[in-house]
Amino acid sequence: MSKKPTAGPALHKVIMVGSGGVGKSALTLQFMYDEFVEDYEPTKADSYRKKVVLDGEEVQIDILDTAGQEDYAAIRDNYFRSGEGFLCVFSITDDESFQATQEFREQILRVKNDESIPFLLVGNKCDLNDKRKVPLNECQVRAQQWSVPYVETSAKTRENVDKVFFDLMREIRSRKTEDSKATSGRAKDRCKKRRLKCTLL
Amino acid sequence: MKEFDDFNFSVDKYTKELTRECVGGSDLQQRKKEIEAYNEQTSATLKQTCKKNYMQFIQTAKEISHLESEMYQLSHILIEQRNILATMTDGKTSSHLKADSIEAESSAATEDVENSQATRAVKEMVQGFNGNLEGKTFLNEGALIELDANDYRPIQRVFFFLFNDVLIVCKVKHDKRLEFLTEFDPKKIAVINIKDLDGVKNAINIITPDGSKIYQSITAAGKSEWIEKLEDAFRFDQQKKPKKGQAPQPPNRSKQQQQQQQSQSKSATPEKLPEQSPTDTQPKSLEDETPEWLSTASEEIQTLVAQRHFEDAQSLIKRTQEFLSVAQHKKKLLQADVIEAKIKQQEQKLTNVLLQELSNSHNRNLQIALREVRRPLKILVEMGRSRQASTTLLKVCTVSLRVAQREARRNNAEISELFFCDLTQVACDFLSAFEQQPACVSALVVWCNAELQYFASQLIKHYLTKGTSLEAVAKCVERVRKPATKLTEIGLDISYHLEGLLRTTLESLIEESKQRLLDAVGRTEESWQPYNLQTKSNLKRLLLELDTLGIDIRGQTTGDTWLNLTQSTVVFIRQFLLLTEHCGCLGKGETLLQSLEHLLRDLFLAHHALKPPSDMSMDPNFVMKNKIFLVDNLLPIAIEKFRKTSGRQCETLRELHTKLSRQHGAPVPRQRSVYTTDVF
Repeated sequence: MSKKPTAGPALHKVIMVGSGGVGKSALTLQFMYDEFVEDYEPTKADSYRKKVVLDGEEVQIDILDTAGQEDYAAIRDNYFRSGEGFLCVFSITDDESFQATQEFREQILRVKNDESIPFLLVGNKCDLNDKRKVPLNECQVRAQQWSVPYVETSAKTRENVDKVFFDLMREIRSRKTEDSKATSGRAKDRCKKRRLKCTLL
Repeated sequence: MKEFDDFNFSVDKYTKELTRECVGGSDLQQRKKEIEAYNEQTSATLKQTCKKNYMQFIQTAKEISHLESEMYQLSHILIEQRNILATMTDGKTSSHLKADSIEAESSAATEDVENSQATRAVKEMVQGFNGNLEGKTFLNEGALIELDANDYRPIQRVFFFLFNDVLIVCKVKHDKRLEFLTEFDPKKIAVINIKDLDGVKNAINIITPDGSKIYQSITAAGKSEWIEKLEDAFRFDQQKKPKKGQAPQPPNRSKQQQQQQQSQSKSATPEKLPEQSPTDTQPKSLEDETPEWLSTASEEIQTLVAQRHFEDAQSLIKRTQEFLSVAQHKKKLLQADVIEAKIKQQEQKLTNVLLQELSNSHNRNLQIALREVRRPLKILVEMGRSRQASTTLLKVCTVSLRVAQREARRNNAEISELFFCDLTQVACDFLSAFEQQPACVSALVVWCNAELQYFASQLIKHYLTKGTSLEAVAKCVERVRKPATKLTEIGLDISYHLEGLLRTTLESLIEESKQRLLDAVGRTEESWQPYNLQTKSNLKRLLLELDTLGIDIRGQTTGDTWLNLTQSTVVFIRQFLLLTEHCGCLGKGETLLQSLEHLLRDLFLAHHALKPPSDMSMDPNFVMKNKIFLVDNLLPIAIEKFRKTSGRQCETLRELHTKLSRQHGAPVPRQRSVYTTDVF
């Protein structure tokens, strides 16, 4: 129990966002514990940490499972600041949840002030394809607009669950190496960006 | 019809009466047919009527249960109305104050007292805090440990005071005094429940404008309480309850849960620094609860039961009991005893209803039955009625299991597989439901043995009847043994018991077949001539068949269609090898080994001792050759086959082999002379 985490594996901080009831916690729990939790209990904000092997390298993933409910919107900024990558989840059986992703995206970009933050658009509940309300091409178009990947998952059947987390971690990792390579340049860049925005406002 | 009921009713007399007018055999036959037809017709109508009655009964039962729940709902509504009326009259005549309205006032009063107490405590104990606390609502206080965000090591002990719009963080100094560190606006902080963090327990992450910090609570209950209270503070204004922090009406579940958790975790986690807490860390707001919900709890439970919301009923009972146990402690309630008695009654009633539910759920299909029982079972276990529940469950399973077996047998389906599958299913479900209760697990073992007994009796009655061929017996036993050994995977070893149950039957069956086989050998008519298969293909087929049994007699072929062995020898080879296989199969159970070996030995000896009749002329060398072939070729193969199938050595056959080969091992000419003297 000494100072291992400081010298320990890299830590990637992932945040689950999306409307209430789309399955953020279900995806998280499926990824963490290989189990599908059927009963629905709204999350407030839960965090999980797990050691995983990412392309042969041991890393730690920190998952912050946030509240989708509208009444928590005000404190979301606080959470988002700490995130390094985002899984923006909606349910393919619920069009409203798909529309809400737009807001989440905007809020994240506002808080992080970074257009290229690691981000995946995730259409969950793909096992309920017969109840699909959001056409596939619409999802793909949106993902293209944001230039982020789009993946459909099912927390129930575990389809693509590992994929979304690992894909996101890869993006976070490559972002980090990129950052450390060009630390000074990047930092300046970002400073500039921020300043620019400030002047705009 | 009345005459049937008559005490003096005589079958003979009645039959005579019926047939009196009939003349002659054909007439009588005709009459008989008529009566039979009438009989059939009657039984068919009876069946139909029965079914109709039954359906009607089900319909009525449903109707009744609907009506019942409606009645309960009505009574519930009436009670509500009565309560409303009562409170209205109370309001008018203020002299008649009810106990619970006093309670409500006193709770409001205690809250005020609490607020001022907490305010004073902060002022007196916290060094360096100058903020104004007037008019704020106190929500929670308690000691926590601040952890390093990187390596989760404790940094310092802190003490929180939470008011509706400020969270005061103090450091606990070594002299147990508090030093003001900082304060936050609860609306500007975000709380994250850390569920899984490298074994760090009961931690929360508070994201403040100054950065994120990890705090650890001593107990799990303390942690959830903080999360709850911080959220209360966060939405304090949204709730629009400036006077009361805690609404008395919505009986908050979370607090209840916290209490549960607290009681659980208290024993689990040792309290590390009770003396370091300057004030009591226990939630003080228990007496805030106006017992309005309490006084109607009994009726509420009744309604819930009637509407089949058993879970809610159970949780309400639990809540009430927990509440009472605390409230009684403080002697705050007047009718506590009355309510408690009522609740107890309701609990008993719920138990009965659930047990009824459980025992009614037997079904032809075990899976369906098990699925149906899951819900009442779970509640009963939670209510601590595991013993009763397990007994009832096993009764239900017995019915399903036996019905399924009977049906399978009627459809000529495989009953062994079904039985063991069902047994496993029951065992698994049972174990998962009653894991914590060793007493129930032993009930399961006893039940398994009882079911096994029934199953064995069925097996003996229907599949191992007298005269069953050894092949069928072997197949049947094999089908039973395999799944039985598989059950050890879930921790049930029933093989031994099963062997014991079947042993006597199997032994007598083996004995019986032995007699039958020996009789058959005695009746063999032997020509003592080489065997002519007539066609090449016949010979080929026979050779292939013996190949699959593991013996090659190609060395004995002569010409295109001849075998240099007698027909009965060849038949015996085939029969003996098949028998060895079946015996080997049965011989997997140790208990039967001896009788099986005896069967094989006696049969072999009987055939080996066959002698040509004295009046028959044949080549004695040929007779000899057949016998030597049996001993030298057939016997070792049979021994090996037995060993392979049963996994055990067949000592008796090996002894027989050494004995017989010694006989034959002697120089052939002399041996021949012995036999020739026998023959002539």
